[in-house]
Amino acid sequence: MEYSFLAVASVAVVLAYELLWLRSGLLSDARYWLTMAICFGFMLLVNGWFTKLTAPIVIYDPDRMLGWRVPWDIPVEDYLFGWSLLTSVLARWKALDVPRGSRRWSAGLPDASAVPDRDVQS
Amino acid sequence: MDRGQYLAVMAACLVVTAPLEWLFDARVYRRPLRTVRAMLPVVVAFYLWDAVAIARGHWTFDPGYVTGWTMPLGVPFDELTFFVVVPLCALLSYESVRNIRDGRVAWLSALLGRRSPAPAERGGTGASA
Repeated sequence: MEYSFLAVASVAVVLAYELLWLRSGLLSDARYWLTMAICFGFMLLVNGWFTKLTAPIVIYDPDRMLGWRVPWDIPVEDYLFGWSLLTSVLARWKALDVPRGSRRWSAGLPDASAVPDRDVQS
Repeated sequence: MDRGQYLAVMAACLVVTAPLEWLFDARVYRRPLRTVRAMLPVVVAFYLWDAVAIARGHWTFDPGYVTGWTMPLGVPFDELTFFVVVPLCALLSYESVRNIRDGRVAWLSALLGRRSPAPAERGGTGASA
């Protein structure tokens, strides 16, 4: 169950990273969820190919996970892994949506709260 | 030939998503510094996760489908490409969705016969910040 645990933990870490540190507003951005829906579709294809039990490229230890595979042979943990990977990158990317020349942009990512609307909507 | 299977899938992802850069003016490849800034710490984190998972036997790779090139901490080169390619695809998708939703894709707005709904300043020229 180690993989299951790590997968759930990664989601918690990414949520905390976004909500407490980056505060990019990504999670309340409909365009993010639309993006995730699209990526999820392609993930099914790629991950489905990687994990198909007839000729797997990635071979999982059944003792380290729940063993639930949906659809085809994709381990459910992989969805959390993928969510964490994509969400953390997109959140950092969005947190960089600060007007050029802003010191914050060059200083790195934290303290988005000081910049009320980091998302250049238009 | 089969040993390139993993990389071939990654290459396919890059090929499929590359047009987004121009079609929807995603401007991911044209903002390499920002892309690296967004991705680097995440790539490192997932690389380490992968190293731990491999070391502890969570998963292994069929040697018939991967290059066999091993990186530090026992991570296959193929996996490193995954951690780079997949986020790139996501960034291209996100920026495309953003530009489409915000009416910033000039040719699409023209096609749909609607003026850019985005507040004036950008004027729907198709170019973003």
